[in-house]
Amino acid sequence: MKEVNRKLESACRAFEADLVLYYYGDVAEPERHRIERHCQGCFRCRRFLDDLNRLLPQMAKATPLPADFWDGYYKETMQKLAAQEARGSWLRNLFAPMHVWLIPAFGTVAVVALAVMLVFGKSGWNFQWTPAQQVKIPQEVLADANKMEFFESMDLLESLGVLEKMEGLPQDSTGVRQL
Amino acid sequence: MVPENAQEFRDEELVALCQRGEGQYFEILIRRYMEKAFRIALDFTHDTEEAKDLSQDAFLRAFSRIKQFDGRSSFYTWFYRLTVNLCLDHTRRKGRVIWERLEKEADGAIETVELMDDSATPDQEAMAGEAIRRVDQTLDAMPKKQRTAFLLRNHQGLSITDIAKVMKTTEGTVRVYLHRAVAALRQSLVEFV
Repeated sequence: MKEVNRKLESACRAFEADLVLYYYGDVAEPERHRIERHCQGCFRCRRFLDDLNRLLPQMAKATPLPADFWDGYYKETMQKLAAQEARGSWLRNLFAPMHVWLIPAFGTVAVVALAVMLVFGKSGWNFQWTPAQQVKIPQEVLADANKMEFFESMDLLESLGVLEKMEGLPQDSTGVRQL
Repeated sequence: MVPENAQEFRDEELVALCQRGEGQYFEILIRRYMEKAFRIALDFTHDTEEAKDLSQDAFLRAFSRIKQFDGRSSFYTWFYRLTVNLCLDHTRRKGRVIWERLEKEADGAIETVELMDDSATPDQEAMAGEAIRRVDQTLDAMPKKQRTAFLLRNHQGLSITDIAKVMKTTEGTVRVYLHRAVAALRQSLVEFV
């Protein structure tokens, strides 16, 4: 491959995509004739096609590999396939129709285990309130709590007022003042 | 044991036999497509061992899913799709950057035999090596769909119709991908053409 210093010219805009398909033989007969006729009179498109003819087959050229490689490849693939089959058959055997009883059996064992854990393991389930578990109280609720305090203090003041009023009232035999 | 004349069976016949539980016929399909599967994986990975593993995985997957093959497309289209998807997943997972490979190439780990004459001078060899690197670089940097379309057409010789089936897209879209890929490659090789 020789290095050639030349400005890269693109093919005619209307033909470039078709030239790629022409190179690969992916154009219909009338289209092929149209492209060939155009290339006869168009240097740029001819050069574009020449470039494709020179470059693309080179890129696709594969390094030949020895027969040994393919033999080894085939054997290895067959071994992997056999290993996959063996794994698959183990699973198939496990869930084969003759072992269908295994599924409810597993289910029963799981339920019994859960029940035993809940009954005998109850003492281990003591739930303790730790600061980390405390729920964070939203601000809106806290604000309401403050309001509650306010109302409670108002109640207190009101009660004081009532007491003050009661100062001048007569007391009954039990010492309670009559309102 | 597979009968001798089984080599002449068509893909569809072999697949039907495998679907009926006669898995031994799959080995003929392996023989038939192992080179193509390996080559396409090599085009994506540029690494012999990875290509071997990936293409073998494609066979394993094809075998385990053979019952799902409904015959709406040909076996090789179905198998190509499986292989290409594995390769794309692999490259995506690996997130491989071209620099990694360029370093390996600089160490001489990858043989540069393409784009090279047997009678080439050291200067020509160096230039051919540079051209190969440029091609690989451009292919790696290309959008995956363009690259896939190009590799399947240029390297594997699949028809546009088959590529469309493999890529699950329209023939018109494949033509566009192909044109863009070729234009980008030609552009990247401006000083070599």
